[in-house]
Amino acid sequence: MIKTRWAAAAAISALMIGAASAQQPIKIGLSGPFTGGSAAMGVSMRDGVKLAAQEINKAGGVLGRPILLVERDDEAKNELGVQIAQELINKEQVVATVGYINTGVALASQRFYQEAEIPVMNNVATGTLVTRQFAGPEHKANYIFRNSANDTIQSAMIADAVKKAGYTKPAIIADSTNYGQLGRADLEKALGERGLKPVAVEKFNIGDTDMTAQALRAKDAGADVVLTYAIGPELAQTVNAVVKLGWKVPVMGSWTLSMASFIDSAGANGEGVMMPQTFIQLPTTPKRKAFIEAYQTTYKVDRIPSPVSAAQGYDSMLLLAAAINQAKSTDGPKIRAALENLTTKIEGVVTTYDKPFSATDHEAITANIPVLGTVKGGRVIPANPADLEGDGALRVKPKS
Amino acid sequence: MQNFLQILVSGISVGMIYGVIAFGYQLTFATSKTLNFGQGEALTLGALVGFSTVGFLAGLSLGPAAAYIIALPIVFAFGLAQGSVVEWLGVRQAMKTKSEAGWIMATIALGIIFKNLAENIWGKDPLKFPSPLSENPLTIGGVNIRPMEIAIVLGALAMMLAVEAFNRRSIYGKAVVATANDRDAAGLMGINTPLVITFSYALSSLSAALAGVLVAPITLTGANMGAALGLKAFAVAIIGGLSSGFGVVVGGLILGITESLTGFYFETGYKDVPGLILLLLVLSFKPAGLFGKPAIKKV
Repeated sequence: MIKTRWAAAAAISALMIGAASAQQPIKIGLSGPFTGGSAAMGVSMRDGVKLAAQEINKAGGVLGRPILLVERDDEAKNELGVQIAQELINKEQVVATVGYINTGVALASQRFYQEAEIPVMNNVATGTLVTRQFAGPEHKANYIFRNSANDTIQSAMIADAVKKAGYTKPAIIADSTNYGQLGRADLEKALGERGLKPVAVEKFNIGDTDMTAQALRAKDAGADVVLTYAIGPELAQTVNAVVKLGWKVPVMGSWTLSMASFIDSAGANGEGVMMPQTFIQLPTTPKRKAFIEAYQTTYKVDRIPSPVSAAQGYDSMLLLAAAINQAKSTDGPKIRAALENLTTKIEGVVTTYDKPFSATDHEAITANIPVLGTVKGGRVIPANPADLEGDGALRVKPKS
Repeated sequence: MQNFLQILVSGISVGMIYGVIAFGYQLTFATSKTLNFGQGEALTLGALVGFSTVGFLAGLSLGPAAAYIIALPIVFAFGLAQGSVVEWLGVRQAMKTKSEAGWIMATIALGIIFKNLAENIWGKDPLKFPSPLSENPLTIGGVNIRPMEIAIVLGALAMMLAVEAFNRRSIYGKAVVATANDRDAAGLMGINTPLVITFSYALSSLSAALAGVLVAPITLTGANMGAALGLKAFAVAIIGGLSSGFGVVVGGLILGITESLTGFYFETGYKDVPGLILLLLVLSFKPAGLFGKPAIKKV
């Protein structure tokens, strides 16, 4: 009697294992800062990715298998990012990873994916080096892709806006991190190409509470526009110092000026700042409308904490799923080859992706896609509403 | 000239914050020759308790200024309690066993525990502390000052003067001074020196908590806000001299003003350098600090 029971139990469990393996999920890594100063971006990105994964799973999954996201909080720390990369690759055996908000974490972690031949889709990190770290011809194949607007694109947009508005004496205020200083260098270069030289270049540390000296130096140098490259809390301190000095000066900067931590803590002082945005929370296309509504109902918020991160996170998952479908395999090199030659058009939130990548170009976002946004009433809106009207609403990467 | 005054003012308000935190180091050092290395975390906790209290009171439809003033005694009480816990758990045992380094490890460990506690309760994200005063700057003699910057200076001075007055005028204060002068003799005179030391720790955390709620409205509140400030204040305490309450205030002002002036007149990237050079100079030529009395260690 006991024997037959055991046999029955064994048979049942064998059946269950069989059923599970037919439906075994495809594991995708998701690494980003969900706590700390970059958390608003990380959490929005994660929620965007999750939204896309849910929709894909509802529609039958990828290769008939559901997507399973393995989420890890890298706290914007390089060493933690490395640890997570190793865990996702070796223990969780993910087929690909999406994420990275911080350029430093991306640069430190993606080396392990490159070695393991597992694709990484950077959906927020903007450092120009990110996709070039393993570029050819030194490397046979590059496993690092990106669908965010890199710093070269952003600094060129800022410099163009400065030139177009007729400002001649820009001042740059940047933080002392990799992000701030690499961005500052890109910005100085972009200004130089347009015949502009900053009249002041100032620096501060993360955690500094008083930016009076930086703002006053810029003011004293006669600057007619302040350009920033930093993250939320310190950006708020910077505009607070500018306002404290009673200095009426336009402020422009990298896309981080759209961070909720900046908008909320700068309050009225942050109104009117301008920054490049790949996505603004406005239903300018049917896809965007559907995305915004889905995000709002799923996460019960009205204002997406970081709309850019959420949209890019959503799109990164769509791109990856399309590539796995096309590769008909979860094999890293095959997914990479499929990404480099995507045959289907993918309707994303930021843009419609028509052959977004090639073997030599791993950047899905080109200079024509982002628009300038500005802060008004605690939200980001287009600086020039005409940018997102009619044909301008959907901006696609030009065919090479 | 106007620029100089503007920079001076912002240096003074930053320096006062350093001074108040360093004042806390000085308080415990005077009575027990020990320090709370978790002073930065005491500041964090004070600011966060203030944040929650102000939030709660604002929920009762009180204005931000009224909520802030009512929150202050609660923050002070919390500071007193937190300091007593540090002394009780971290320092008392080490002093009993005459351990040279036990209290160092213990206060650092407690600091880490408090920081993790803050992360668990309030999360790791920076929070916006509602400002009790208008955020629009005042113009005084051509210099723009945020009202909160004035409040920082006044609040810090008031706290330090209150402690000084307490020490000089009240009988309990005299017990503190006596313990600071000679702990053994004070004990023989019937002063409950362990209680005095507990009290000095309580007061030390109170001053850190006050610094926390003073600085929070002009910056952001969060579990990590105290780390950098606590370290700066430690440098201030060494520059000014740990045995002098007046010294640490001047030390704070010196550091705050040099930082701002270097940032403005030299380069903002090198803002922290002169303060550190000063620290090294003081350590080499006047190890007891600019205003400290050199201690003679009897063997």
